[in-house]
Amino acid sequence: MNNNRNEADLMLHQMVLDFAKKEIKPFDMIIDKNKDYPKELWNKVLETGFLGLIIPSAYGGANFNPVAEAETIYTIASYNASLAFTFEGHYKTVNQLMKYGKDSLKEKYLPQATKRVFGFGSTEPQGGSNVLGISGSALKEGNHWILNGNKTMITNGGLAEVYLVLLKTDEDEISCFLVDDEMPGFKYGKREEFFGMRGTPVGEIFLENVKVTDEHLLGSLGEGIEIGNNAHYDARINMGAIAAGIINHALEIVVKYAKERKAIDTPIIELYSIQNKITEMAIAKENSKLLFKEAAQLKLENKPYAKLATMAKSYGSRAAFSSCDNALQTLGGYGYSSEYPVEHLLRDSRALQIAEGTLEKMVVEISTMINKESE
Amino acid sequence: MNYHIVVCVKQVPVSNNLKIDPVTKNVIRGTEAGVMNPFDKNALEAALKLKERYGGKVTLLSMGPKNFEITLRGGLAMGSDEAILLSSRSFGGADTLATGYVLSEAIKKLGDVNLVLFGRQSIDADTGQVGPIVAEFLGWPQITYVNKITPLTDGFIKATRLMENMEQSIEAKLPVVLTVRSELNNPRYPTPRNIQLSYQKKITIWDEKDINADLNRIGIKGSPTVVRKVWTPEKHEKKTINLNSDPNQAVLEILEVLRAKNIL
Repeated sequence: MNNNRNEADLMLHQMVLDFAKKEIKPFDMIIDKNKDYPKELWNKVLETGFLGLIIPSAYGGANFNPVAEAETIYTIASYNASLAFTFEGHYKTVNQLMKYGKDSLKEKYLPQATKRVFGFGSTEPQGGSNVLGISGSALKEGNHWILNGNKTMITNGGLAEVYLVLLKTDEDEISCFLVDDEMPGFKYGKREEFFGMRGTPVGEIFLENVKVTDEHLLGSLGEGIEIGNNAHYDARINMGAIAAGIINHALEIVVKYAKERKAIDTPIIELYSIQNKITEMAIAKENSKLLFKEAAQLKLENKPYAKLATMAKSYGSRAAFSSCDNALQTLGGYGYSSEYPVEHLLRDSRALQIAEGTLEKMVVEISTMINKESE
Repeated sequence: MNYHIVVCVKQVPVSNNLKIDPVTKNVIRGTEAGVMNPFDKNALEAALKLKERYGGKVTLLSMGPKNFEITLRGGLAMGSDEAILLSSRSFGGADTLATGYVLSEAIKKLGDVNLVLFGRQSIDADTGQVGPIVAEFLGWPQITYVNKITPLTDGFIKATRLMENMEQSIEAKLPVVLTVRSELNNPRYPTPRNIQLSYQKKITIWDEKDINADLNRIGIKGSPTVVRKVWTPEKHEKKTINLNSDPNQAVLEILEVLRAKNIL
């Protein structure tokens, strides 16, 4: 793996770390409790230009590469996983607009993506990540498309204002369209009440005869499944980064606690059973980091990264959950109490085994990729 | 009016990484990881706010080894327009007087500067002297320990000085030198976009020839100060009486104090 980072990447890293420590850390518990980002924090996120991180300079963005993107997500997740999850949902969507959008659509929407949150809608109430089961439709009418459908489980649903949606354009043809919530016929549905990642809104949208021009079609007709898969792979790199960040957060809490907490006169960090948990967590953190960084590096080098990205999410999500479980056990009653952060870290980490494809789907995908490689 | 604001910044060691030369008692520079002196960030933020509101240009100025460029780059990423690093072996070992001389010569060379901002002091040497020394070399008014800046019309500026137990409001005609406190503002973060753009901006390096410096007034040769010992002095509280701002009333108060002490 190439670990060379240029000065701009290092300056970005330092800025993100400073921002996370000073602006995000004080709100970690509040975000979970209020199920929202405090206005003060959210305004600073917008002012500091995090939304435009990966957008090319010509469109008003910062043009940082996939490694810097994933490392930013990791650092943010080390202080609050929900906010990192919100960034992940936005970057995943923007990445597809950058890759598949027509020039005229990019000129209109990429500058907006530096200030407005974007979301990706593929799941429908009747089907999970199986894009072939999509029933929402787009019908051609002259030079326009008429879009109808219901998309659920959208990361940032309600916070985002612009969405990429996968819709049927023919019997066996799925295509991807961009819709803006200001368009007539666009409506919001309910927000999910989730177990963890409570700061990140996950919501539902309805399209009722939303009329868009042909330029709102991403890629070509029938390319929706590829775009959806690509969105998954991009997202999984960052899911791995969120997992590593959660472990980092939990580990910091555990080490501090284990040094201070005494069993009779001995700090519990000197007990083998605690050392064992800390060691497992530390190894899990480094392994998770290696996987997401390697996947991001492959993407940067324009090499196939789907397998490593899927592994980063698959391994990272399990490692984060077991690390948080270790952290909770180490802190005992304090770990189980919602007055302390480990409890919400455990809940946050659980989302990673489901979002962007369940663990079970990861098994199918990774084994299929390995099977194909051996042909 | 348009401002050309020079912000003088210093790179300081990351606080837990401070090393003092056992012989010279000076901070060892050049190799350690450094950051922009925190008070200088407040000065830069103030300059950027003035520029955004009234127009003009912000130039960063620093003196130090080449590795100070990273700190200047950080200042460019916060939004400064240009940066000048005064860097030469001849500048090495400078005390506050020699540093102030070099900075003031660079400001004179820039020519059109009407406001110079400093942090109130550096967190490594802690002297708070360089800003005032530069003002003296330039022959400009100075307002130190500023916690509020209000630009006025007709080329005047009003600033509030926050002292230990009082505030003073002072008006001065530009050009002027200000040293600022952290209470003045919250420095912005360099945005990711500005971080990238900062690498398209040039950092100009000037040496003693570029500023036509008198070689006897720079570096060790130009530094009369010898540091013998570094320690934290004990704090002695002295009783201070703040007089009424109305001169007539103040005179009466002085008389009262003198009479109470049987001096009159």
